[in-house]
Amino acid sequence: MKSSARLKIWKIGIAFWITIVIIAGFLIQIPKIPILEQTARNLFFHVPMWMAMYSMFLMGFIQSIRYLNNPHSATDIKAESATRIGMMFGVCGLLTGSLWARFTWGTWWTFAEPKMNLAALCMMIYVAYFVLRSAFDDEEKRAKISAVYNIFAVTTVPFLLYVVPRQLTSLHPGADGNPAFSEITADELRWVLYPAFIGFIAFAYWLYTILHRYQTVKYQIDHT
Amino acid sequence: MMFQGQSQVNDTLTQAYSEKWSGVDEIEQSGAVVQFMSSNDLIFVVLGVTLIIWFVLLYFVIRVDKKVTDLETQLSSGE
Repeated sequence: MKSSARLKIWKIGIAFWITIVIIAGFLIQIPKIPILEQTARNLFFHVPMWMAMYSMFLMGFIQSIRYLNNPHSATDIKAESATRIGMMFGVCGLLTGSLWARFTWGTWWTFAEPKMNLAALCMMIYVAYFVLRSAFDDEEKRAKISAVYNIFAVTTVPFLLYVVPRQLTSLHPGADGNPAFSEITADELRWVLYPAFIGFIAFAYWLYTILHRYQTVKYQIDHT
Repeated sequence: MMFQGQSQVNDTLTQAYSEKWSGVDEIEQSGAVVQFMSSNDLIFVVLGVTLIIWFVLLYFVIRVDKKVTDLETQLSSGE
């Protein structure tokens, strides 16, 4: 069996887009900020991980609602796949953040930093989603209860990662009621940061399509 | 502050290896590409490493994508 299917044009687009983002992220002139130094470039790679995670959790949320409206295994598979990819990007965000923190804040992990810890808590809530899924043998029951749980899980994300950290003192930009990204940050960083958001969200979507297509094929084979 | 002592750091690496790391001395005589890569504190080398990782990962993702497509067509034509 040989496939004649060519790679879709938008996938090639994403490949080029992220390549350009990486090159630009390494090479543009950035303002010299004490302590941050060259690690200011991490902005282009660390923050998009979170944006990709949000977008995938949002996708999982939408698919879970769709499942509850119209129970069909396809939407359950999509919800699970999106959440899985979201988790993967979340782990990337935590690890890159931890490395960055070591060389700017001086520690791999600090409990004085609310955003860091609440992001980890958010991950834990999503770990529970997969634990919950594994607890059921009955497919319909698993799909329905995990969809309900996923709707709960996604509602915690904006509070854990935006509302609460901004009310507290934090080492992250955006603490004490400040905007995260405004006059305090150099404009030229936006020219790479926003394309990086688009690129990594699109890349997350690509991975999500591969995963849910694989899961669908697996489901079909298991049920014939 | 961990960065304050940076200039006094004892560079044992250079002491031990500077004779073996001969590539650095030949930059002036080498080609344009190597001279370019050697400029700007070697940032282009880091970029190169990152791009290699990105391209290998991308190749892997594209391959898996195609394999899933194959399975899908196999499954739909088999039914």
